[in-house]
Amino acid sequence: MDYIFTLRAVTPYLDALVPAVLDTITVSLATMVLSLALGMVFAVARQSRHLAVRFLATAYVEFFRNTPLLVVLYFVYFMIPTIGLRLSSFSSALLAMTLHFGAYMTEILRAGLIAIHSGQYDAGRSLGMSRLQILRRVVLAQVLRTIYAPLGNQFIAILLGSSLTSAIAVNEIASWTQTAGAASFRYFETFLVAAAVYLVLSQAVNFARIQIGRRLFPAAP
Amino acid sequence: MDTSLLIYGPILLKAARLTIWLSWLSLVIGAFGGLLLALMRISRFRPLRLFAMLYTELFRSIPILIVLFFCYFGVPLVLHADLSAFGAATLALGLHASSMMSEVIRAGITSVGSGQWEAAQASGMTYLQTMRLVIGPQAAQVILPPSVGIFIMMLKESSVASIIGFVELTATGLLIRESVGGGFTILGVVALFYFVMCYTISLAGGVLESKMKVAGQNLAIDRG
Repeated sequence: MDYIFTLRAVTPYLDALVPAVLDTITVSLATMVLSLALGMVFAVARQSRHLAVRFLATAYVEFFRNTPLLVVLYFVYFMIPTIGLRLSSFSSALLAMTLHFGAYMTEILRAGLIAIHSGQYDAGRSLGMSRLQILRRVVLAQVLRTIYAPLGNQFIAILLGSSLTSAIAVNEIASWTQTAGAASFRYFETFLVAAAVYLVLSQAVNFARIQIGRRLFPAAP
Repeated sequence: MDTSLLIYGPILLKAARLTIWLSWLSLVIGAFGGLLLALMRISRFRPLRLFAMLYTELFRSIPILIVLFFCYFGVPLVLHADLSAFGAATLALGLHASSMMSEVIRAGITSVGSGQWEAAQASGMTYLQTMRLVIGPQAAQVILPPSVGIFIMMLKESSVASIIGFVELTATGLLIRESVGGGFTILGVVALFYFVMCYTISLAGGVLESKMKVAGQNLAIDRG
């Protein structure tokens, strides 16, 4: 029997696609914010004067950069109930994604911090600024400019990576694909729809990154 | 740590071998596919350039999981060709690797100055000869170090093959977890396996990179 391609077969399942897309966006945005915060802590820790702190931060980065997100997801998902906590699969996914992408954020932020000349710190200190003041008033604005483009790419990586959370039962786009595909037996069409959604989402992020970048840093390329 | 997991060591090692084999295969496919795409990307014909550009942009915007589903569930339906989980995983990872390798190879080829092209042409070399004898060896120095990074990416990405039922390292970990009655220790062990594999390769890549840099400098000196 020949396979007849028809997108109409997917239409009954489109209702369920909307919350799935929203879940993908929510988990990606939350991961972006949390991993950025985590990355900031570790990026500063990597520049610490104490060897132990530096080592810990480096170990964190190297470990999570060299392990698959999927394994981290499973690890967190199975660990949470074992140690007696109760978290939804969404929260477990968020925790695992934050740990994983936090390592990449650390590297991006560290590159941003390194790019700042040590003279700027000296200048801040000579003006009597505290460490925190220097970070907030002198360093941050400049770091933002350097890390802006890599952050945009990272957000797309998070968006695409969030598809793996379907493995631990988060109802996002990839998981919609599986249920809708299995129910309609229209795998080809459902994957096409999912691919199109991801394509639109990542291109939208890319577009927004460029547009906002133009506003924020007019002189930057 | 639970010592009862030790008996699963050999199984995990075997599974790790499968993971490496799958990633290596996809890297090799990626090298050939990437070369083809890179040549298309720098070609004079607009349709070829456009195709290569769309290909890389597409694979950069779609999760590997969706590509994998596509290969495993979608392609057999349409082509009436049964694809094993291993075949589908190799295809999906290979397609993805191709898009990444094409960027690396393109950077490698364009890093060779246009003077080299002109010199080769002036001495009557054909396109293939120029590529093989003049551009290739010089581009390889730029291409090899990032390829190591792509190999590491493939090692990590190959874990998604477990979702369609190919029993590699991650799937083996999940199976062992079920046979020992739950827990999460085994997944930590699996993560450690991945870490050791990837970190070793990344260290080796660092050595390779520094050697390449030295070779590149020598070349620059030779050229005067």
